Amino acid sequence: MSAPSIPRLWGWVMIVCVAVAVVGFPIFDLAREVIGAGSHAVSEVLGGEGAWSPIVNTIWTSSLVTLLTLALATAVAVTTSGLDSRRRLLVLVAMTTPLLVPPFVSALSWVAAYGPGGLLDDGIGVSLPWLIGPLGVVILLVVNAMPIAYLIVNAAIRSRAERDLVRAARISGANPLRAFLTITLPLLRPALLASGAITFIMSANAFGVPAVLGTPARFPTATTRLYQDLVLSADPAAFDRVLVLAAFLGIMTLVVVGVADMSKRNPIRSRTESSGPRLDSHHAGRRAPSAVVAYFGVTAVVPMVALVLTSLTRGVGLAPTPSNWTLDNFGEAFASGAGSAFATSLTLAVVAASVVLLLGGLLVVLERRRRTGVGTAAALAFAVPGSVLAVAVLLAYGPWLRDTVLIILIAYVAKFWALGHRPIAGSADAISPELFGAARISGAGALTAVRTITVPLLRPALAAAWLIVFMFALHEITISSLLYGPGSATLAVTVLNLRQLGDPTVTAALAVLLTVGVVVSAIPFVAMSRRWGVNR
Amino acid sequence: MRIEPSLRCRGLTVRFGDVLVLDQLDLEVARAETVALLGPSGSGKTTLLYAIAGLLDPDEGEIEIDGKPVARGLKAVPPEHRSVGMVFQNYALWPHMSAAQTVAYPMRRRGVSEAEAAAMADRLLTMLGVGELAERLPDQLSGGQQQRVGMARALAAEPALYLFDEPTAHLDATLRIALQQELMAQRDRVGASALYTTHDAAEALAVADRVGVLRSGKITQIGRPAEIYGQPMDRWTARLTGTASLLRGRVVEANGDRALVSVLGASLSVPRTDSVIGEAVDLLIRPGWAVLDGPLEGVVERLRYEGPHTDYLVTTAAGALQIRQSGLPRFDVGEAAGFGILQAWALPIES
Repeated sequence: MSAPSIPRLWGWVMIVCVAVAVVGFPIFDLAREVIGAGSHAVSEVLGGEGAWSPIVNTIWTSSLVTLLTLALATAVAVTTSGLDSRRRLLVLVAMTTPLLVPPFVSALSWVAAYGPGGLLDDGIGVSLPWLIGPLGVVILLVVNAMPIAYLIVNAAIRSRAERDLVRAARISGANPLRAFLTITLPLLRPALLASGAITFIMSANAFGVPAVLGTPARFPTATTRLYQDLVLSADPAAFDRVLVLAAFLGIMTLVVVGVADMSKRNPIRSRTESSGPRLDSHHAGRRAPSAVVAYFGVTAVVPMVALVLTSLTRGVGLAPTPSNWTLDNFGEAFASGAGSAFATSLTLAVVAASVVLLLGGLLVVLERRRRTGVGTAAALAFAVPGSVLAVAVLLAYGPWLRDTVLIILIAYVAKFWALGHRPIAGSADAISPELFGAARISGAGALTAVRTITVPLLRPALAAAWLIVFMFALHEITISSLLYGPGSATLAVTVLNLRQLGDPTVTAALAVLLTVGVVVSAIPFVAMSRRWGVNR
Repeated sequence: MRIEPSLRCRGLTVRFGDVLVLDQLDLEVARAETVALLGPSGSGKTTLLYAIAGLLDPDEGEIEIDGKPVARGLKAVPPEHRSVGMVFQNYALWPHMSAAQTVAYPMRRRGVSEAEAAAMADRLLTMLGVGELAERLPDQLSGGQQQRVGMARALAAEPALYLFDEPTAHLDATLRIALQQELMAQRDRVGASALYTTHDAAEALAVADRVGVLRSGKITQIGRPAEIYGQPMDRWTARLTGTASLLRGRVVEANGDRALVSVLGASLSVPRTDSVIGEAVDLLIRPGWAVLDGPLEGVVERLRYEGPHTDYLVTTAAGALQIRQSGLPRFDVGEAAGFGILQAWALPIES
């Protein structure tokens, strides 16, 4: 091993400084504060009236959401695994398109479609009164977790010779159910663990959905109570509650990640590759695409149509016909500060994506050997709940940066670093070191080799990383709702505040605008993933 | 009472979209018989086995196993009730199960007690020479060992019919021959019937009682190994079933079951086909059917010494001919060599 060269050393120093500044120092500060508050304060908080209900609510809703999501995602992935590629693509599109709708917009759109006074209520007198409440929270969290869970389970099924293994079991005398229980399920265990952990963490840390559907029904979760205590409460004891809730969320996340990671050790590998014809006599599978499309329609299309119609209507309760359509709601939204919020969100998204891109690119160039541990650390940082990061950053930088856009940016970089790091590192792993070496042998200096070989090969991954961070930052709500101040409200926060003021049509208009922004920024991403064969 | 064949397929047709994979295929496998299906990749070998096993539904046709219809219209018998055992090309071992668990699996599904199944699995694995590997996962086994575990699993099912999907395709030559012999020994001991697919002619000829040639979803020729090798129906089949040299000749006489063909100025008696006197034919000559030293003249164009024998490629006025003879090379490249033809098979001329 040669000693690191001087530019390399400076690169590392820079990376470590940023990591310490945006993640290490704030989290350390939060831990110090929690410990400093002392066990006395903690027990006082937990002894207070209703202190446990947000924690209990978070645990049971997240557990239920995880179970339902895994069952549904596995059912879809397994029943559609034998389909031809055209129908599988249809299923893939129907299952993953909802990713483009921000979770709290999805919740708003369900209210617009199925809630009391919603589209179906006006049209045929059908509404779901339980939508505002715990059941609604659970169902919307399931809807939002489905795409990722499906992608993970589906990838696991496609990556091994699952079909031949099940066929061998059938020939050995197992009926379809027995073959599923003894072969498919054990083989899916790692994927189910991974998607289960992600679903649980995402649900426990979700803020948008419980804020829209839980809070009006006085159903608090850890994240919504934390928001109320930090942003809305003037009670000085509230800050102790914030610390306890943040500690709870952080520790629970660590435990879930740790348990999933430990049970994932010794993954079962399979060397066999699938062979033989794809066509199976899965009669159930033939109806699966229509079921998935129906699911897509009910959970995503109808609500979104209802939201758009709400944003266009002259007044709540009018028939959704073109004669009652107007664009006034959009004008009103801009009048109430949406313009500057849009500028804030756009700036934050562009800057956060660019910083993450620089850090990710730098890291890949510096990391001569992969697995230096920075990747794992970054992944862990993404698992840290947004609420916890926000509280930590507020503690660390609040005295100087409270209510500024900059403090939100710091938290965004901490949160989204992992998101951007993964595609870049994955792509860099696929580039063999010989390519770089061949450039050096051909007479290129280190920097020239990076510029002419590494960067061009990484370009798709770099673009993907930038776009994905941009998309997530554009509709981010958990962090910004805790850190915004006068003049630094993001678009998502503005939607939430408008809703609390009780103007459904203007809220809908703004939510539609936000979704359009996310969809537009996703278009080059989808086009690119097609072109680079990411999206099979 | 008439003994039903172990397998009977009638008019079997399978389409994948617009592609006709099996085309009105008929096939019978008698009790305790092994039939090998020889065909290039894409000829429908795997599809046929999958249809017989019940892993895909044929579009048309009937399948009977041991006289019982298993695929006829909508009343298809599911794979677990068809009494077939299958050895997969890619082994298809379950990555989360040890060899012993894998072999016990079919017996457990039949309701055999756990202890009994374990004992039986151990016996089968030992019989196949992998008894000491019983606790290993597929991951920890070599290709040949995996294949033996796959075979033990098929044997454990005690089926009426074994299906072998290119079971030796991924193995090296030595291991392949050892496994082929073991397969035949197993079959003789258990007395079951087997359908065996391969694209390796030597393998098909060695293991089977009958060899069928599968081309574009149809069985174009079926018969004893010596028939398929010695009397292929056309040039394509001749090349599929082994090394084939063709010399152009002309039929000069035909009486009884023999015909006289003149080639390179000599006359050769061959089994009679539907050849017409005066018509040109291609004479198929396998490497062992011609010898050096003889009345015919040629020039040695290529030599290949392989240890036990030497292959000579001899060019003549009627075409090129490969001769295999034991011992060291006796000519140099470019030298004239005399040779004689011991045996030949007349094929119609194809353009």
